[in-house]
Amino acid sequence: MSMRGRDRVAIVGYAQSPVVRSADRPLGALAVDTARAAIADAGLEPAQVDGFVGATLLPSSGGHAVTDGVSVVSADWLAARLNPNPRYAAGFQGLGQIPGSMAMAVNAVATGAADHVLVHRALHNPRGSYHATSASEFGGPMQWTAPQGFFGPLAMIALTYNEYVQRYGASREALAEVVVEARKNGARLPWSYWSGRPLTTEQYLAEPMLDDPICRFDCDIPVDGVAAFVLTTAERARDLPHRPVHVSGYATGGPPKRRLPAHWPLDDLMAAGAGMAERLWASAGMGLDEIDLLQVYDGFSPLVYLWLEALGRCPVGEAHRYVRDGGIDSDSADGDPVLLSGGSLGNGRMHGVPQLLECYLQVAGRAGERQREGVETALSCHSSPHLGGALIYSAEAHQW
Amino acid sequence: MTAEHPLPHRPVPVPDELSAAFWEAAARHVLTLAKCSVCGTLTHPPDVVCDTCGSTDPRFTATPVDGRGVVRSWTVVRQSFLPGFAELLPLVLVDVELVGPELDGQPDVRLVGRLLDGVDAPLAAGSAVRVAFEQVRGDVAVPAFELAGAS
Ligand SMILES: [Zn+2]
Repeated sequence: MSMRGRDRVAIVGYAQSPVVRSADRPLGALAVDTARAAIADAGLEPAQVDGFVGATLLPSSGGHAVTDGVSVVSADWLAARLNPNPRYAAGFQGLGQIPGSMAMAVNAVATGAADHVLVHRALHNPRGSYHATSASEFGGPMQWTAPQGFFGPLAMIALTYNEYVQRYGASREALAEVVVEARKNGARLPWSYWSGRPLTTEQYLAEPMLDDPICRFDCDIPVDGVAAFVLTTAERARDLPHRPVHVSGYATGGPPKRRLPAHWPLDDLMAAGAGMAERLWASAGMGLDEIDLLQVYDGFSPLVYLWLEALGRCPVGEAHRYVRDGGIDSDSADGDPVLLSGGSLGNGRMHGVPQLLECYLQVAGRAGERQREGVETALSCHSSPHLGGALIYSAEAHQW
Repeated sequence: MTAEHPLPHRPVPVPDELSAAFWEAAARHVLTLAKCSVCGTLTHPPDVVCDTCGSTDPRFTATPVDGRGVVRSWTVVRQSFLPGFAELLPLVLVDVELVGPELDGQPDVRLVGRLLDGVDAPLAAGSAVRVAFEQVRGDVAVPAFELAGAS
């Protein structure tokens, strides 16, 4: 076997808060409760958790004030309230917050920097318009885009996706299949903002455009919500209550070609995504054909296509056909249930948490009614293929 | 003060050391790209290190280009998050790859700006455009594009 650290560190517990538009308590309170629940789920006490990792990106362009414990929750903030003398507390900066944070946690455990590491992600929906600004001038990178009217993530993904549409002939009906599938699966989750509220194809197709060819239903909805996961060594994991889910490998994207801010030309994205995928397979020592369950990221619905293609699930330009006619239907025996997690579209803007959570639950055998047979390996995708990243999990521990 | 509410102004760029020459030229309705004084590569926007040769002292010069390009993508913006754009909606943004002999054989340069022809103008991937300027304030102009098919 390889001398790498793969499968030496395992996820041993988790907790997921309700996902709501506006929590009735400050985000920090929700984070502490969720972290305590994850630690208890792992069969541990807070005093045993000596490592904390998180990411604090607040992805709005509206210039909202960022206050630790209120609009974001940093690893330091959480540590101070759970174990004020941690051996390791660190934050990940970047867009691929889940793979980035998980990689830091895996390495902290693997090197002995900490014995039990809590990885958390706390997302906040600020009051007022999420993206609107009243700025009368822009300096720095935004001077090259905002005065020209290019501003915010809707225009960003609309330009990328229209490039895809024009090149490959993707239809609105195909994207409807993606969104409807995410909302169907999300509607079945008790914690989801969209719990009990699926979307029909007709509703999707009737929705007016915001930034052509993107409509409201192609974008995840901002929410308040927290998830937390506990990681430790494969050896310690054997003595804890749940079936361990080992981290086999990970990769983060970038750096892509330098462009205008929030400008994602399709070829740049796919070129950097291909590099990310190569690093992922090398890191885990396995390829896509050895993955039992793939969970793709969908914060903007077209990202589903770009992930399917970046990972080689289908040829470049073909994902819009792959998803048609039940291709990703989790209720079909032949379907590839890549949105079983409900994704961001079916949960709310939890930034890659649903994909990690579903992989964990399925490999741990804890997915309840959604549990699928024989999921020994899984792969979760987060953010975009060029700036985000991916993780691979395995039920089997490293063979020494 | 009165019942009249003046329309909010569009945001303007704040020039800095790297961008001042670009905005000075734009005010004269001239499009410039940043030319690395070490390797001669044109780029946009300028940065502290040249992407092509890696020089940490690229001493970019604002070099006029004729502003021809082809549309790689576009979107119709129907809801703006910026002041001063509401009355312009719906508006078209185009993602343009600049073309011209000075750009042959070097990394592509892409700009995003408004297409001033409006939402009904015939537009396709590969449509030819040329730069135009929007006067957003008396002394400030920002680049945009127009279809180059006719005239
Ligand atoms: Zn150079």
